[in-house]
Amino acid sequence: MADTRLRHPQYFNARRLLSQSHEQASDLELARSARAGDESAFEEIMRRYSPRVFRFASRFFRQRSLVEEAAQEVFLRAFTELDSFAGRGSMEGWLTRITTNTCLNLLRSAKRRPELTVSDLTEDETAWLDSIMSATATERHESSERSLVAADLTDRVLHTLSPDDQLVLMLIDGEENSVKDVVKITGWSESKVKVQAFRARRRMREAVEKLLRRKPKASATA
Amino acid sequence: MKDQHIISLIENTSFGSISEKDLQTIEAHAAECDACESAFAAARLASVMLRERTAETFEPSSFFQTRVMAHVRERQAANETWAWSRIWRSAGALASSMVAAVVALAVLTFVVPDTSINGDLVDASARNGYSVEEVILNPGDSLEEVSDGLILTTLYDAAEDTVK
Repeated sequence: MADTRLRHPQYFNARRLLSQSHEQASDLELARSARAGDESAFEEIMRRYSPRVFRFASRFFRQRSLVEEAAQEVFLRAFTELDSFAGRGSMEGWLTRITTNTCLNLLRSAKRRPELTVSDLTEDETAWLDSIMSATATERHESSERSLVAADLTDRVLHTLSPDDQLVLMLIDGEENSVKDVVKITGWSESKVKVQAFRARRRMREAVEKLLRRKPKASATA
Repeated sequence: MKDQHIISLIENTSFGSISEKDLQTIEAHAAECDACESAFAAARLASVMLRERTAETFEPSSFFQTRVMAHVRERQAANETWAWSRIWRSAGALASSMVAAVVALAVLTFVVPDTSINGDLVDASARNGYSVEEVILNPGDSLEEVSDGLILTTLYDAAEDTVK
């Protein structure tokens, strides 16, 4: 049965005042309040960091439902592990680490797609490959429709790689993070990040090369 | 060997961070080597693809916080239930032994008849021709016919027998 006090105007006023006081609170203060059972403190944490968590989870998943599922799992884990946030590092870093681990776990539990071949490409994807290969070096395409096709194709290629490969490629080659940034995000050693990135680039390049190989040379090198 | 060098230049760093000098070396070599030209084209395309993919992001919906908080409360409620069941399990042995003791006492008090007392009362009643209940509850019926001595015998013989 719903608590009738929740509909009382005083309840809303109290909540508003509480959330106003939380807006000025530091991350550590919010974490302490949330640990003590203050739900509005945790809501403030979500308000501050959910855009970042969504943005990060979007690197791994292209369906909104999957991104939401991952983000929800991130905040549920964050809530249960609030004790482990001691304020030594930033809350953003702490949440990014949780997001990375959650997304990697979700990717690992998903079935890896088989190798992509030219015959698997849609007409739009083939047309996009043709156009990009005939364009100048790294020129971006303005058309959002084309971007969608490109993102779709990239996603299909990425899902033939391991979750760890996908992670380093998106972070270093996609978002242009430094190796040190990725060390902080993943908790891996610097050498592991470098080796993983090197191998992931090779595998990605080989996967793309296979797509280009059967294309007419004129369109691939123009 | 030269091919290897070109490919490692591509793979050592992200495409966007290849220096201008390295890029010129790669392009010059790729113009003469089919394998490196193909690798270079693929690396360039992979870089474009990854940046296109990175540009795609989702924003949290307006109901996201509400949904997460509902799940948080659900988990908390589940944890509380679990905590209670743990307490119950740990105290279960003690509680069940206490319940067993109470049940045993109740059985001994209310169910098992005290045959010795009842037997004595029956004996006394048989000797006098009146039961204790008859004497106490129906005084009007036979009071005139029964002497005081008989009443006392009926009541106190039973008590004495019990004491013995």
